[in-house]
Amino acid sequence: MEATEQHTDGNAIAGILQEIFVAEFTTLERTCQSCGDRNPAGAHRSYRGAGIVLRCPHCGDVALRLAVLPDEYVFELRGAWSRRSNT
Amino acid sequence: MERLAPQPAPLTWRVATLARLQPETSSATTLILDVPEWPGHLAGQHVDVRLTAEDGYQAERSYSIASAPQDAHLALTVERIDDGEVSPYLTDELHPGDQLELRGPIGGYFTWNAADGGPLLLLGGGSGLVPLMAMLRHRAAAKSDAAATVLVSARSWEDVLYRDELATHDDHGVTVRYTLTREQPPGWAGWAGRVNLEMLRELGADPGVPLRVFVCGPTGFVEHVADVLVQLGHDPHRIKTERFGPTGG
Repeated sequence: MEATEQHTDGNAIAGILQEIFVAEFTTLERTCQSCGDRNPAGAHRSYRGAGIVLRCPHCGDVALRLAVLPDEYVFELRGAWSRRSNT
Repeated sequence: MERLAPQPAPLTWRVATLARLQPETSSATTLILDVPEWPGHLAGQHVDVRLTAEDGYQAERSYSIASAPQDAHLALTVERIDDGEVSPYLTDELHPGDQLELRGPIGGYFTWNAADGGPLLLLGGGSGLVPLMAMLRHRAAAKSDAAATVLVSARSWEDVLYRDELATHDDHGVTVRYTLTREQPPGWAGWAGRVNLEMLRELGADPGVPLRVFVCGPTGFVEHVADVLVQLGHDPHRIKTERFGPTGG
């Protein structure tokens, strides 16, 4: 594997995100703090290194940073995330 | 979206039992699984599979679901990566009756339900065809009349997954075309090489038509196809993509 050279996307890390947030994550919509583009989490690019980073598919700015530690997940979300309510 | 989600429950590991194996190509095998209390899924979703070694070491991989939600068994098509950690075990070592741990279904973005309608444009590279096949199987099982155009990109004719079954879908509102990137059989009448503008134009990938576009495959394939679609004038927000990346298999 070429380290983090090649990215995947939000779908590839949907399992761990669903584990953390106890809800389907890839359909959450995010408006980027940098470029203002709005995209579902599944459409974001995902990079794996020491941790996981999701990036805006339009401008590449950071959307989510996640570290998996032995007994906890540590994460930072950036931008405005929205989820459609059931009503 | 919520109305389609079959499972609001937390994601739990389940023990599945291998009912049978179905060879697809020289490197790909479908695992037909019995999963007790499977909550149901949407075409396009995947599962995480977890293997645990005797010393406790665990390896996890994601595999797209190949079966339609209507099918009795859960089917996963696994491409064997020769130096991989998980896939050689799944394709070569597993026998009917063996158990394995999985969790899912996972993902809601890269999914299609017959109620969403069409027309569909499905573009699959290599094993990226798997979730698209689930969509075609679902379309047939739901007796959907959504028009579907499928472009299958594979290295060679021998590497095309579900070849015989694809032929049975063709003509029933489904058009299947192929491009072979490395090797073409003698007298090959299909396309050769990477997906390009001409192929997509010929497939009717007109940005003026409100197509539901799904692109799945290795990252390089997905990026390239999405770029060509955008060159054609498609709105990137309407192109749903799923990248397999350089998997450790």
